[in-house]
Amino acid sequence: MIRHGLSARTFLLLAIGLAVMIALPLVVKSSFAIDIFIRILLFSFIGTAWNLMGGYAKQLSLGHAAYFGLGAYTSTILQIDFSVSPWIGMIAGGIVAMLASLPIGWLCFRLRGPYFTIATIATAQALMLIFLKFRDFAWGAEGTTIPNLGNAPLMMQFESKAAYYYVVLGLLVVGLAITSIIERSWMGYYLVAIGEDEDAAEAIGVNAPRIKRDIYMISSFLTALAGTFYTQYIYFIDPATAFSFNISIEAALVSIVGGIGTLWGPVIGTVLLETTSTLLQSWLGSSIGGVQLTVYSLILMAVILWRPTGLIGLITEAWQRYAKRKPARA
Amino acid sequence: MWETVAQAVINGLLIGGIYALVSIGVTLIFGVVKIVNFAQGEFVMIGMYISFFLANQFGLDPLLSLFVTMPALFVIGVLVQHFLIRRVLGPNDMPQIFLTFALSLLLLNLALMLFTANYRTVHTSYSDEAFHLGGLYIPEAKLIAFGVAMLLSGALWVFLHTTDLGKAMRAAAQNRDVAMLMGINPNRVFCVALGIALALAGAAGSLLMPFYSAYPFVGQVFVLMAFVAVVLGTLGNVMGALIASLMMGIAESLGIQYVGADSGLIVVFAMLLLTLAFKPTGLGGKAR
Repeated sequence: MIRHGLSARTFLLLAIGLAVMIALPLVVKSSFAIDIFIRILLFSFIGTAWNLMGGYAKQLSLGHAAYFGLGAYTSTILQIDFSVSPWIGMIAGGIVAMLASLPIGWLCFRLRGPYFTIATIATAQALMLIFLKFRDFAWGAEGTTIPNLGNAPLMMQFESKAAYYYVVLGLLVVGLAITSIIERSWMGYYLVAIGEDEDAAEAIGVNAPRIKRDIYMISSFLTALAGTFYTQYIYFIDPATAFSFNISIEAALVSIVGGIGTLWGPVIGTVLLETTSTLLQSWLGSSIGGVQLTVYSLILMAVILWRPTGLIGLITEAWQRYAKRKPARA
Repeated sequence: MWETVAQAVINGLLIGGIYALVSIGVTLIFGVVKIVNFAQGEFVMIGMYISFFLANQFGLDPLLSLFVTMPALFVIGVLVQHFLIRRVLGPNDMPQIFLTFALSLLLLNLALMLFTANYRTVHTSYSDEAFHLGGLYIPEAKLIAFGVAMLLSGALWVFLHTTDLGKAMRAAAQNRDVAMLMGINPNRVFCVALGIALALAGAAGSLLMPFYSAYPFVGQVFVLMAFVAVVLGTLGNVMGALIASLMMGIAESLGIQYVGADSGLIVVFAMLLLTLAFKPTGLGGKAR
């Protein structure tokens, strides 16, 4: 069932959706709301990057913070020490992350299933420790602030939050486009085959190690772009935020809750989780620690126990039931 | 010079006993039920909080609270297997990994909400006591913890090798399908495995309390060690996990002594990465 192009209806829906997203900051002016939209787009993008490898090939990494951090640090070091624009630094960070994924993948892919997951946690933590310890090239534990240049679009700094919104919206569109292309290509089928049963996939001639290496490189590259964006957005970097375990957790969580191995899963998952978290914070205040992750973990458990296909599965089922009930038109 | 090394080795060996209790639990669950329990560290944390509250409210010595934490966590283990893990056992990795991972997140953040991030300590009469052996310094509380940990590990080994239930567990670990054909009830065996593993984590919590602070994230320290020890000691192998834990305790302590106070974990990660690079099946393992 290889679908080559987009149908006219899907194309129309996508165009309308994109138009709404572009118009959103023109209508909504509250910077609090824009901030939430930016978070949703950012984590949708990180989830999309994770989903390429974690979702389609079921290589369940909990160490994507490694690439987020490498992207963030590469562009920041280039900017502060060499005055290179973060736009270039962003691509450089992506390339550094891609190169780093080769040895990390070489080590971690020796293990399968849960022990692959543990190895990815360990590599991300090890990178964080390295950046904490070696202060000569990366400011150690204190981190550093990004010099504020006012409105400097060429240095990825903007006065209006809406501009950041468009940058991260652009990233998400790129991420979804890449996912969509891979999903329809032979690589997508190889990935799904590896995810279903790696030994069986190899037996029918899929070069699993190569495919896993390639998708890990793509996934790392995209995750690193998010790291650069986030640092530019909050004007600050330190090892604890750049390599935060929470980044790794959320990347996996939004994909699983939304629908693992589906194009729109990470987006739907992020919308649900981030909205819940925002509502909780406005209801309880942010004074009590742990509320957000308690709720996230309950949602994750509920999804795993009752609906492992995620919200996408739930929506598809509801749609099919509705479609069946509707009498066929002549 | 010689004494500094010996002191570091002793410190590492003593804390390695606690790592062993945690890793034996992880490896037992992995061997028998074939899942990785990401929440094992959080059960150490629960054991510590139970000991802390018993000591704080009723003045119960943390070592005596072993008799409360171990049965309590055994029951929790049986419940976790029966109501949660049983429902995700299947060929699919994702639910198995993320169920116990979600459980870990849940327990950790519930603890953060209920008890705040404050450090809780219990002071006992032997907390500051130590034996002096030549120039060496052996803290009493750590020595007791190490002794009890070895005793419990030995008891588990005897249980696995002499009792019918223990043999059934080892049989289920070797080949679940054949064990079922021999009339072993897998859910019962899995419940006992989870119960024992969590009881060991609870014991680790009680043993730690006289010399270690309880806080919501405390389990993360131990579970990371346990994962590395379990890979190093060959997955599912109880004796391997025990030996690897002691080695890791020593390696971490030498790392703190010679690389820097914040570098214990770096040494541990380096050990994990080296193991993965050169002997991914663990020290005593054969190719899978």
